[in-house]
Amino acid sequence: MRPSPTRVALLLLCLSLACAVPQLLARKKDQPADTPNEQKRAVHALNRLTFGARPGDVQQVMAMGVDRWIDLQLHPEKIADKDVEARLEPLRTVRMSTKEILEDFPDGQMVKQVADGKHAMPSDPARRAVYQVQVARFDEKQERKEKKAAAQPPVPAEELAAAAAASADSASPDANAMNAMTTKNAAAEVRVGADAASALRSGATHAALTPQPTPADAAQARRREVRLYTDLKIQALIDLPPNERYKKVLAMSADEQVAFADSLRKGKGQEFLEGLDPRQKEVLQAMNNPPAVVVDELSQAKLLRAVYSERQLEEVMTDFWFNHFNVFIGKGPERLLITNYEQVVIRPHALGKFEDLLVATAKSPAMQFYLDNWLSVGPNSPQTEGLPRRPAVRFGRYGRPRVPRGPNLNSKRKQNSGLNENYGRELLELHTLSVNGGYSQRDVTEVAKVFTGWTIDKPFEGMTFRYDPHMHEPGPKFVLGHRIKPKGEDEGREVLHMLATSPQTAHFISLKLAQRFVSDDPPPALVDRIAKTFQKKKGDIREVLSTLFHSPEFWADGTYRAKVKTPLEFVASAVRATGASVDDALPLVRQLNNMGMPLYGAQPPTGYSMKADTWVSSAALLNRMNFALALTSGKVRGVKVDAVQLVASPTLPPDAVATLSTMEAKLLASDVSKQTHDSILEQLDTPTKNGDKKDKPPQPKPPDVNTMAGLLLGSPEFQRR
Amino acid sequence: MPTRRIFLRNSALAVVGTAAVPSFLTRAAFGVTENAARPKRLVVIFQRGAADGLNIVVPHGEPQYYAMRPSINIPKKSVLDLNGFFGLHPSLAPFHPLWQQRHLAIVHAAGSPDSTRSHFDAQDFMESGTPGVKITEDGWLNRSLHSLPAAPKNSPFRAIALGPSLPRILSGAEPAVAMNNIDDFSLGGKNPKPSRAATAFEAMYDHSSDSVLHTTGEETFDAVKMLKAADPGKYSPAPGANYPKGRFGDSLRQLAQLIKANLGVQIAFADISGWDHHVNEGATEGQLANVLSDFSQSLAAFWTDLGDLGEDTVIVTMSEFGRTARENGNRGTDHGHANVMFILGGPVKGGKVYGRWPGLDQSQLYEGRDLALTTDFRQVIGEAIAMHLGNRNLAQVFPAYDNQPTRFLKLLA
Repeated sequence: MRPSPTRVALLLLCLSLACAVPQLLARKKDQPADTPNEQKRAVHALNRLTFGARPGDVQQVMAMGVDRWIDLQLHPEKIADKDVEARLEPLRTVRMSTKEILEDFPDGQMVKQVADGKHAMPSDPARRAVYQVQVARFDEKQERKEKKAAAQPPVPAEELAAAAAASADSASPDANAMNAMTTKNAAAEVRVGADAASALRSGATHAALTPQPTPADAAQARRREVRLYTDLKIQALIDLPPNERYKKVLAMSADEQVAFADSLRKGKGQEFLEGLDPRQKEVLQAMNNPPAVVVDELSQAKLLRAVYSERQLEEVMTDFWFNHFNVFIGKGPERLLITNYEQVVIRPHALGKFEDLLVATAKSPAMQFYLDNWLSVGPNSPQTEGLPRRPAVRFGRYGRPRVPRGPNLNSKRKQNSGLNENYGRELLELHTLSVNGGYSQRDVTEVAKVFTGWTIDKPFEGMTFRYDPHMHEPGPKFVLGHRIKPKGEDEGREVLHMLATSPQTAHFISLKLAQRFVSDDPPPALVDRIAKTFQKKKGDIREVLSTLFHSPEFWADGTYRAKVKTPLEFVASAVRATGASVDDALPLVRQLNNMGMPLYGAQPPTGYSMKADTWVSSAALLNRMNFALALTSGKVRGVKVDAVQLVASPTLPPDAVATLSTMEAKLLASDVSKQTHDSILEQLDTPTKNGDKKDKPPQPKPPDVNTMAGLLLGSPEFQRR
Repeated sequence: MPTRRIFLRNSALAVVGTAAVPSFLTRAAFGVTENAARPKRLVVIFQRGAADGLNIVVPHGEPQYYAMRPSINIPKKSVLDLNGFFGLHPSLAPFHPLWQQRHLAIVHAAGSPDSTRSHFDAQDFMESGTPGVKITEDGWLNRSLHSLPAAPKNSPFRAIALGPSLPRILSGAEPAVAMNNIDDFSLGGKNPKPSRAATAFEAMYDHSSDSVLHTTGEETFDAVKMLKAADPGKYSPAPGANYPKGRFGDSLRQLAQLIKANLGVQIAFADISGWDHHVNEGATEGQLANVLSDFSQSLAAFWTDLGDLGEDTVIVTMSEFGRTARENGNRGTDHGHANVMFILGGPVKGGKVYGRWPGLDQSQLYEGRDLALTTDFRQVIGEAIAMHLGNRNLAQVFPAYDNQPTRFLKLLA
């Protein structure tokens, strides 16, 4: 193809512009004394309001003016964000409602309902394939259990059923939580947990329903045969075009589909998914482990947003508030709830009103479940008293005649017939007043009573918020010296309003914001000033942040690069600084697991610490340095860094010293100590300007820019923002 | 202890012969042989998820026990009897010989006095060492290092946690290393010769004016170098030390390697999860039995592996709270209160169940449902810290807790 004259002209124009910009900037640099100061301000603003500067960001912020840029970041709705939207496009679950997620990626309880015939098997072939495998695995597990039980002394049938129900709904959420908590890979652990159920299938057979072993063995043998045969069939399918391949899987028999799903275990069988569209990939992966698809997409979306969103402050604040109102993905069905929690509860309020955010979290199924409030029942509530529900109430099965507490009561309900203070306590301690906020144990108990009846509708199905008057503790409550009149659900609203407008809350939130944006131990005068805005502007977070960003303490010299990055901030900033392109964010997600900060994996309600001492440990530092080297040498799968391109615009610097200087400017705005600079040069084995190798002639070989970039990303300077 | 002396001399020579070894390593190696005092070690094991103490050390002489747990009890004929009243769960068979050799002691009805039944809070309290106080920033295991006398202070492996990040219990002002895996604890590959990148990083951090990163960086590079020089990988488990597969067994196997490589480990921490059995807990077999096998086989292997070094080692186990005395409607147990602790080691006066047994009658239960607490875990730990490690400043380790030596259970010789 021949270049047309217009094209040539355009190209020349572009080139001349590209040359002009650095010149303009360079000229600006030589101008008045406040310009370096302006650059420092831009770097600082980027360090604090974003997940790190990308190549060119500093110049852009300076061109716009730092204050104007900050103001724009405070109004994310004015910032176009097409790039990240395109990158999130394939991650379909991120845009789904909880109901849709539960339907397409069923958890144990949904599967059980279908297995028990309480819910029809979906007719859509894709969804059907997902359910078919889960139901088959579930049935096998049940059969195995029953067979084992048959070999032991008999147990009453209803007890067996209750046990099965409870184990299927992962009703021991804490078990999941505890397992995931101590592993380096919470997300993977979730997967392992789900797999564990099906991993027990070995000896199970349909025939276990009857005690005779012969038909059982026959069924088992048949299954084994099908599986062996399916493995061969799968191998043959790989050569088909993607669409054909997909259709063939959907057309398989249930036994074959189970065998196919097994072949995807532990991240295997990736080549089979090659070329499929996102929805097709999701379906096939969901056949093996439905919730894992949701968790993987959620984690990828978080990293992609941190790296690519133009609305950086909104992402920073979404992360901040999620951590403030932390929920843990390893606890029971949270893995299917958190997508919406982040998308609908947190992000829309990230720069809005604190009270709206507080109310939204209080009513969210994710929080209700995480802090057990959905189970909390008033000690004198109609439910505890065993009073009948009015027939109009949706749960008809509770409309039983009045009976004293006894064996007639549903055994599970009976267990849950008490007050649960978990949410009440954390609401006061972690969400609003803070531990020194002047409340007593009595306040905790009273707040817990206020929130009885705030529960989740149809647990494990649609899981939306519901107020259940039957569970609510009657009578007035006394919270922080106020008498709360009995008025059902509105008691909770009254308490949330009281807490959201309390000066203690204003102070606590201001302190945490100052810790995130200013320093680990922020000056009290600053915190007081922000808290004043918080109260005056009725918890308007945008206003509070604006006060913070215009405070002298925020701009003080001692604040500059004073915060140690958390692992998330470190990984995201390294990817951003190098201008890396991320094709697959999952390897980055796994890096965070190794660094002790699995996404959505903070088990305690306090969330992750924002302070340096938590994140500066030996294993963590080694992980950071090794990650830096791996990233720049192309060893992190799915992420491409072009270090040469980074330093070679417009032309490759003449020698190693110049290359390093350019790299330092690009990655760290030249905020590099002499120690770091010299150490890198030394190791690159090139003569330093004033080092002891002066007498040696300069070496002609090109500097290893990858290692150079890796060393800079792993340097002490890059660990701070 | 002739075997030990010989071992140390050899390792000291080996160290001297290696170039680029941090001086503290040679100091430590020589120092120990010259001083008569041998380094003492405390290993803390956390059973995360609230282990069911009543089915672990079974009060088989307590008639209420069988009445309260009709489907998940451990039958009298299956327990490994200890003293006619208590018996070990059969999956703890690897503990039985240790008990008989009087290396293993048990404290029943022990734990944190706080009434919380939240895993979060209870673990937090047991790690901060301040039950009921959430604002404590450091962990008691870290504080126990503050006033520890005569320690090989310079060893970066003085305090170590096996895991990806430093747990609450070990966080604080004293240096401590978190190590996920010995093999991963290196920089720029496993090549015995330090890579250029590693050397560059070391130069940057060693002379950095960033005090926080400088300190940790220095500790890290020292640890990496020390680890490379000591090459703990060459210490394969001793004959008979059969670690089961899994995370906990791996942790203890690697810890034994670090200790045997004479890296100056004084405080170590490892955890094991999977104890939260609300549903189908099982009895002689089942979920609890499986995790108990892993637990006891790993610890017994560790003990065997340590050999003579066990003489100077005390291992203490703990879990955030126990479980309900009665089984629930799902053949499991719910969150309870007091629990059981194991203490294993050279100076332990084993073969005895310590602490007062509160009984399981309705009136004796805590809040009408759980085993009552008669021994605060800080009494047990306090004794180990004061009598074994020699740190008498218990007020610093466990602030606002009256930990007089007169209250010790006297389970250490």
